[in-house]
Formats: sequence, structure tokens, C-alpha cells
Amino acid sequence: MSSEAYRAGGLAATRTGSLRDSLAAVGGSYYWELRKLVAQKRSWIGLAAAAIVELVFLISIEISKVTPNDGPYADPMGQGLRHSGLALTPVVLKEIAYFGPAIIAALVAGDIVANEDGGGTLKTILVRSVRRGEILAAKALALFTYVIVALVVFAVTGIVAGTIAWGFHPLANISGTRISAALALALTFAAIAVYAVPTIAIASFGLFLSVVTRQSVAAVVGTIFYALALEGLAALPAIKGARPYILVTQLHAWHGPFQTPTNWTIIGHAIWISVLFAAPPLIVAWIVFRRRDVAS
Amino acid sequence: MFDPYYRQPMTQPEGSGRRPVEVRGLVKRYGRVNAVDRVDLTVESGDVYGFLGPNGAGKTTTLRMLLGLIHRDDGSIRVFGRDPAADPVTALAGVAGFIEEPRLYPYLSGRANLELLAALDLGGAGRKEIDEILELVELGDRAGDKVGEYSQGMRQRLGLASCLIRRPRLLANGVDPAGIRFLRALLRRLAGEGMTILLSSHLLAEVQEVCNRVAVIDHGRIVHEGALADLETGGSYRLQATDIARAVDALEPLDAVAGLRRELDELTFTLGGDEDTVELTRALADTGVGIRALVREQTTLEDLFFRLTESDADLREAEAAIA
Repeated sequence: MSSEAYRAGGLAATRTGSLRDSLAAVGGSYYWELRKLVAQKRSWIGLAAAAIVELVFLISIEISKVTPNDGPYADPMGQGLRHSGLALTPVVLKEIAYFGPAIIAALVAGDIVANEDGGGTLKTILVRSVRRGEILAAKALALFTYVIVALVVFAVTGIVAGTIAWGFHPLANISGTRISAALALALTFAAIAVYAVPTIAIASFGLFLSVVTRQSVAAVVGTIFYALALEGLAALPAIKGARPYILVTQLHAWHGPFQTPTNWTIIGHAIWISVLFAAPPLIVAWIVFRRRDVAS
Repeated sequence: MFDPYYRQPMTQPEGSGRRPVEVRGLVKRYGRVNAVDRVDLTVESGDVYGFLGPNGAGKTTTLRMLLGLIHRDDGSIRVFGRDPAADPVTALAGVAGFIEEPRLYPYLSGRANLELLAALDLGGAGRKEIDEILELVELGDRAGDKVGEYSQGMRQRLGLASCLIRRPRLLANGVDPAGIRFLRALLRRLAGEGMTILLSSHLLAEVQEVCNRVAVIDHGRIVHEGALADLETGGSYRLQATDIARAVDALEPLDAVAGLRRELDELTFTLGGDEDTVELTRALADTGVGIRALVREQTTLEDLFFRLTESDADLREAEAAIA
């Protein structure tokens, strides 16, 4: 061992400030944000929860005496339960649409900056060669990736478990039209993609809270309250007319792919409403993160 | 030597010929309190510069501003001629460091931490280089372990490694040197190879052994800045006499005597030079005071530190308590 391994040659990376540089910086940071998520137990707990909720529903349906026409399952897709495993994911998604994924998104979103602030690692990475805005962009991308992965895990678990229990058979969609198993499979992932959009908007608010509060717990709980508050707002009779423009209403836009014909209107509506809800917190988070003092 | 294969092309940052650190009139306020109050610092190339002060004196706040982590309220900072507040990434291209203790990801391995930080350096160290530096800080055997399982000393060594992979020209290190005592020789060697080192600490003995220049900060203000060699040539004396009170009366009028203080049954003071001891002994003899002991002491940073940071009010209070 000798200091020859290190030579203070006075060399350091310099940046030209080009878009290519920035994309490379965001890309490298994004990779490591994903590595960090993979290395943390919290991330796996969220994914496990996404999988377990499907299994819990499957088991409860199997051991209960509820018939497909009862209560929450009394819709065309609910009638597919016990007849096609592909019915499980849309039915469970309908049941947990308002709160389930929001909790999982909050768990990571609220923590992704605040945890580093509290642990002091933020100041470690902020003195390297990646700009603050690029680090936040990488964190946002990693967060959104996590949300999508959690939803895919949710869907795949439901499809696999449902198929094992009830088989890979055709079923009726929300409009009552019978669709093939292969199409149902593809539409399940399309529905998950649509559902991911408003969920990412909720996660964006969590990221904003994570930056502004610098407290993981406050940001996680605040994000869940945000989703619940929007749901409460949407339920107020006085603002019934505004309900289509509230974020949580878009959590039902995943019905679009499962309708005949495909309801592109609610899908498009959900996308632009979600963008409207996601943009302000992301912009404010970006401004605050770039300017704030990091003294922890 | 680093293997060029593991590096992306790099260029010499602009401002290479400029001073590593030049701080003028730096101010940081928290409410009505000036945490840093018109601080001036100049760190020259090749310096191992000690930035000293008690906890809460303003060292950490100054370093945070230097590294672009917090904003200043007034004054200017130039790192190799560039302002870290205006564009931290460019200004800090040749700089590495950490504040207080290094904070790393406990759930990642030591090597993964370095790989992550190298990635954030954009063209930083490659795997081979990282392995060499892990060996250098004696963490080669534990590189695969999670940092959460490291001792404090190991984390501090890894923190230093995280700086070295950046190949800095300026290492601004806020860790207490006690934690990296084993690297004292390495720090000297790195300085000899052209790296400028800024060590922030309240542990004087460690800094004294490695630094050539020091600044002392207290209550946000620089109370001393200078070469260590200058401090060590100062003539500090300790006198024990047959009658301390009369000795004070005899020495107070002498121009050659400065900083006269009574400490229990002895006096401490400084003289401009050794020849002044003749005048001193004559003055004591003329007033009939016998000399029991006159000891010349080398000024230590500890002496300097307490002399500079203790307020007059504190001294008066201490003297009153002794009396």
C-alpha cells in the first residue's frame, strides 16, 4: 500500500454544461438511486405488500362463501372470479384503488429525499459533480420507476396466483363483453399503466413533501393524508361538478381499457389531470431543492 | 499510478493557478446571531491549513459555505478563483471534502459507496482505482461489507477514500484528525505531492502535528491567522518569584513584557526576544524580588487557542476566583 495509488494531479472532471452532460449526470444518478432503493428493506416491504394484497384477496374469496354476484364483486368482472384467474387483478384494483398504491408510493416518495437529509448523505452527494436539479430529477425518476414496478408486481402476482387458482380463461370486461384470456392479460397491463399515472402524481406530492419538510415521517404521513383528503373532497356533494377534475377520481380511469370500445376519453382526461396535479409540487420541489441550505 | 483506461478524458479545471481558497468578509446570519462574522481566510497551494475553534465557533458553517451547501449573507468566497455559490459544480471541480464526519450509505458496501460517489463525479475513479484507494485506507478486506457494520474509524477512513477517488487539488476535511490519526503521514505525503489540505478541528494537538498554517475562529470571527512557524518562535515565559505581587509591579512598566498574567503563584508573559530577559532580571532585582524559576516555553497551539479565544471577561473572572 502506498500513496502512489493516489496522485494529486490536480485533475478533476469538468462539465461543459451541455444537455448531453446533464442527461449523463441524471442517468448515472438514476442508476444509483435504483441501487439504493434495491438495497433498502423499505422498498422490498412495499413490493411485498403489493403482492400480498392480491394473495389475501384470493384466499379470502376462496375461503369465504361470497358469490361473485355479492357486494363489491357485483360487476361484470367480479363475476369472472372463480372462473378466470385474470379477473383477480382488476377486482382487487377496484377495491384498493383509493388507498393501496398511494400508501406504497408514499412510503418511498416521502423518504427519498428526507431520509438522505436526516442521514446526512445529501451533503455527501451534493459536493460531487452532479447538480442539485439533476439529483432531484434522478430521484423523481427512480421514485416513478418504483411506483410502476410495485404496480407490475401487484398485477403479475394477481395474474399468476389467479391463474393457478382459477385458470387462464376468457372473461367479461366491464362493459359485459366477453374477451379472450390473451386480450384480458394485455388489457390488465394497459389498465395498470393508466392507473400508474395518477399514482405517480400522488408520489410527486410525496416527493415535494420530502424536500420541503425534510422529515421522512411527516412526508410519508402527509402524502397518505393528501390522498385521503382528496378522496374526502371528491365525496363532498357540494363540489360534485368538480369531481372529474380531482386527482383521486383519475384512479378509476383504468376502467378505460376494460370497456368496449376502449374509453380513451377517461384515459386522456386522467393523464392531463394527473399532469396538472403533479407539475406544481414537482416544480416547487425542484426550486426549493436547488436553493435550500443543506446543513444537516 | 492510475490506469488511464479507467478514466474518462478529463481536463485541467480553469483557475488552476489561483489560490485554493480565498475568503473575504464572509458573513452568515441565523436570526440576529452572526454565526460567521466577516471572516477572511487565505489558503495557499500546498498548505496543510488548520482551521481551529471550539464547537459552535463557526468552522462548520464556514466550510459549508465553502462547499456550496449553504448560502452566505455577505462577503465572497473563491475556490481556485471561482465562486461555489454561483456554480458549485464548476467551482468545486478540484475539491473534495466532508463536513464534520463523513456520512455514507449504511445499507451499501464500502466499495458500492465509492462507486456511487465516483459515478457522481462524472468520469471519476474506475474499479481498479477504487480498489487501490481502498487498500490505501486499509479497507481492502472489508470493502464488501455494509458500511453500517463499520466502526467509526473505518467510516472515517472510507470518508477520506471518498475524497481521494475524486483526485482533488484541495481536500477540505471537517473530520477531527483524531479519527484519521493513522493517516497523518499520508496527509503529509499528499500535501507533498501537491494537494492542498484544509483541516477543520477543535483538536489542537493533532492539527499542530500536520499543519503549516492555522486560522483560529471564535464566535464567528477569525482571531488569528498565520504560519505555524511564526507562532512557534514566539517567546512565552513562566516566572516563579519570592513575591508575586511585587514582581507584577516591577514588570508591568517594562515595554518588553507583554501579556502579563498571574496564574496562582506564578506569572506568564511574552518577551520580544531572549535579550529582554536581562532587563527583566534587573527590574526584579532592583525591587528586591528573588527569582525562583524563569522558564521559556514554546508556544503551543493550545496556548494560542486559549489565549485567543478566552475573553478578557473570562480571564478577570478566573483571576478573581483564584484570588
